[in-house]
Amino acid sequence: MTAPAGTGPRFGEEPGRSAPDGGASRGPAVAGGSAVGGLVGREEALRCEGLRKAFGGVRAVDGASFWVPAGSICALIGPNGAGKSTAVNLLSGALRADGGRAWLFGREVTGWPAHRVCGAGLVRTFQLSRELGRLTVLENLMVAPLNQLGESLFNIFFRPRAIKQEERRHLARALEVLGAFGLYEMRDSYARELSGGQKRLLELARAVMAQPRLLFLDEPMAGINPALVEQIGEHIQRLNAGGVSVLMVEHNLNVVEAICDRVVVMAEGKVLATGTMAELRAHPEVVRAYLGAAQSARAAR
Amino acid sequence: MNPYGLAVGFGLVTASILAIASVGLTLQFGVTNYVNFAYGDFMSLGAYLTFELNTAGHMTVWLAMVISAVVMGFAGVAADRWLLSPFTRRFNNLFYVLIVTFGLSLILLNLISAIWSPNFQQMPVATENPLHIGPFLLTPSQVAIFGVGVFLMFAVHLMLTRTKLGKAMRAMSDNASLAMVSGIDTRLVTSVTWWITGALSGIAGSVLAIDLGTITPAVGETFLFVIFASVILGGIGKPYGAMLGALVIGLVTEVSAVAFNSAYKLDVAFVVLVIVLLVRPQGIVASAGKA
Amino acid sequence: MQVVYYAFTLVFFFFAYSVLNWGLNVQFGEAGILNFAYIAFVAVGAYVAGALTAGPPAPGSNESYVLGAHLPFMVALICGGLAACALGLLAGLIVFRRLRSDYLAIVMISLSLVAYDFVTNYVPLFDGADGLSGVPEPFAGVFKLNANSFIFVFDAFSAVVMGAMWWAMSRVTRSPLGRTLRAVRDDQDVAKALGKNVFRFQMVAMLIGSFYAGIGGGLIIFFSGAFNTSSWTTPETFVIFAALIVGGVGNNLGAVLGSLLVPVIFVELPKFLPTIASQPGLIPEIDNMVIGALLIGVLWFRPQGVLPERKVRFDNLLAERGGCW
Repeated sequence: MTAPAGTGPRFGEEPGRSAPDGGASRGPAVAGGSAVGGLVGREEALRCEGLRKAFGGVRAVDGASFWVPAGSICALIGPNGAGKSTAVNLLSGALRADGGRAWLFGREVTGWPAHRVCGAGLVRTFQLSRELGRLTVLENLMVAPLNQLGESLFNIFFRPRAIKQEERRHLARALEVLGAFGLYEMRDSYARELSGGQKRLLELARAVMAQPRLLFLDEPMAGINPALVEQIGEHIQRLNAGGVSVLMVEHNLNVVEAICDRVVVMAEGKVLATGTMAELRAHPEVVRAYLGAAQSARAAR
Repeated sequence: MNPYGLAVGFGLVTASILAIASVGLTLQFGVTNYVNFAYGDFMSLGAYLTFELNTAGHMTVWLAMVISAVVMGFAGVAADRWLLSPFTRRFNNLFYVLIVTFGLSLILLNLISAIWSPNFQQMPVATENPLHIGPFLLTPSQVAIFGVGVFLMFAVHLMLTRTKLGKAMRAMSDNASLAMVSGIDTRLVTSVTWWITGALSGIAGSVLAIDLGTITPAVGETFLFVIFASVILGGIGKPYGAMLGALVIGLVTEVSAVAFNSAYKLDVAFVVLVIVLLVRPQGIVASAGKA
Repeated sequence: MQVVYYAFTLVFFFFAYSVLNWGLNVQFGEAGILNFAYIAFVAVGAYVAGALTAGPPAPGSNESYVLGAHLPFMVALICGGLAACALGLLAGLIVFRRLRSDYLAIVMISLSLVAYDFVTNYVPLFDGADGLSGVPEPFAGVFKLNANSFIFVFDAFSAVVMGAMWWAMSRVTRSPLGRTLRAVRDDQDVAKALGKNVFRFQMVAMLIGSFYAGIGGGLIIFFSGAFNTSSWTTPETFVIFAALIVGGVGNNLGAVLGSLLVPVIFVELPKFLPTIASQPGLIPEIDNMVIGALLIGVLWFRPQGVLPERKVRFDNLLAERGGCW
């Protein structure tokens, strides 16, 4: 699965996204991240320690700690109810954690709301495609860039030319991204008119448009046909080749094996083990909790 | 007599009226998951039916109220069957049915005005001498209202805990889709809930008018925000919360009328509402919020 | 001559309601905020604008209100808009971020009812139920106007105001701000996941809409010379929602059309019908019922309204670039 030359979103051409509080976003992360052991921030896209979240009496996430090396594609796997989606929601800021800490590229993001975490470089997709149905496909992408000049009332009335220039730049990039994802023909259709698979691609395209440094994918392959699975897998690898770190929650272990460098296994709200698929297949607890005997038998051959 | 003692007495009466109204509103919200903005006008309609039966029909006010409640129950079912449920089934988004209830409110308010005249009219409760009951000074009607309130709260409690219907309503309130796949006939439960909410709204409107002594088409609507305050205080969708909220709001408003100018006693309820929203929007009674 | 007078009165309300509709459209059509208290914002604009030009209440009269001053009416008009913004800011701080949409609607409608109740009872604020009257006629010093010529002049002025506010609103809805507001409307969680500070955007929509409400209210009080509580009961909010939905939510031209279809044809026009002596309120009551039924009917049969929200295309942006596309 090699990336076709010349097509696809080109990274590094646009001025880098700036986080809401003015920090630079590209290049080496700010040092001085975690004081608690482990790698220094610049080599980790994400680190979390001791994440906890309970709903009523149920402890969905119960002291989860893991990290995602910068530039890698990591998978988060585990049985249903292991707390994977909750962990993703906690880390992306959609839910408030009861406890624990998190760092994004060395910067502590514990307790940050979703839009701030996004500003720090994390973009997520949703398990059930959530396209902005009443906007067109192209509009969906045009919404994605952060801190647009045209979102400020002052600029609308006093700097219309600057807004127009920025819009043209975004538009050019959006059309390229649409082309790369095969959605160019649908650009003026309402997003709700797309097929299921196309909506999945749109969600990914929109995430790409937001120029993430770390991409969270919540079950990107769930419920779609094998051809599309392969296509999305290629997109992910191309993104990664362009410098985007990826963390994906997935049940489709073939995909995980094919494209992921590293796998984190969660069960019952905690991290059970980390490593490559091969290592995990030999791990007895992982086998028992999730993989099942058939998988490990296959590995033995 | 201690004015605060008197205030507590009035507070209990107001709380009774509020409790009937709030429980009606919150039960329906729990099952249907949207707020009926025409609820105040349902109350007014119930009050006017009671008024009509009492004046033109020459029944005692209490019997008129019962008949009015039954009629309002069916009115609630009709509104749901022919207007509200079709909208909830057709559109995914809640806002459509909210606007429809807003529109229904406008229609009902003007219908009542057209039929019965928009002016204030006297509720024919005989001029009664207030009774001394402990530290309270209440008319027999007010005592009766309190009794009706307690009786209905107890009845609702029995229904929710002892009957299949009550359990089904609680199940739907918690998780509608799960209730549906568990074999609960959600459409039937919804209809019955609307009957109950209609009946309760009718009774609430009637006792409100009896307590105020006058009746006007907007009587329910102007009381609506006090009901909202007590519903939100208790946690929207929770009947026991609504009862508690009604008690708190009823007492707070009456006591504030003694401490401050009584013209604004209802507005105090709004202040309580705002405070609750700022401090604990899911309400006093804790659980996974619908907010 | 009377007919001309009536016609130009209707024309004024067409302009004023267009402004009001645009304000609600930003809040509800673009940002998805169920502001069921909208009319209270209109009232704030009216009262403040009126009180700032009417001067302090004459001693010995039984009127009483705050903010008596003799500001020029255009300054007062702007102040009315800003006062409405202040209310919007306060309301937004309380409800946004905490409440989902129908919860928010409950609080807003309660706000409207309480504000109405409070202003009616607390007479020192804006003279209670009697409201303000005798608001000085704008342009009185500049032109010598009688009752009829005033209407023409004020209509012309309102048309200019409406034009300016149309221009401003177009810029907003066609900008990236408008697009982000629509994204917030469609799915708040997605908007947050794309880095949009939803609270800030809701607040911006609230403030813009409140400003328009205040200006509209100011125009109304200057046209009529008076304003009291009967002008801003909750059904009035409903009329504006109806106008917006019938005309087409999310479409500025639809808002204008809605202003014509609902408030003008259904509200102001029937005021000129003869009243039935035995039941004076009957015509307005039937009128209101018809509006309610009309809205429910439109929601069922054509929820997008007469002029639906326009699909956004980027063709003009592409065309100007020239070349490869």
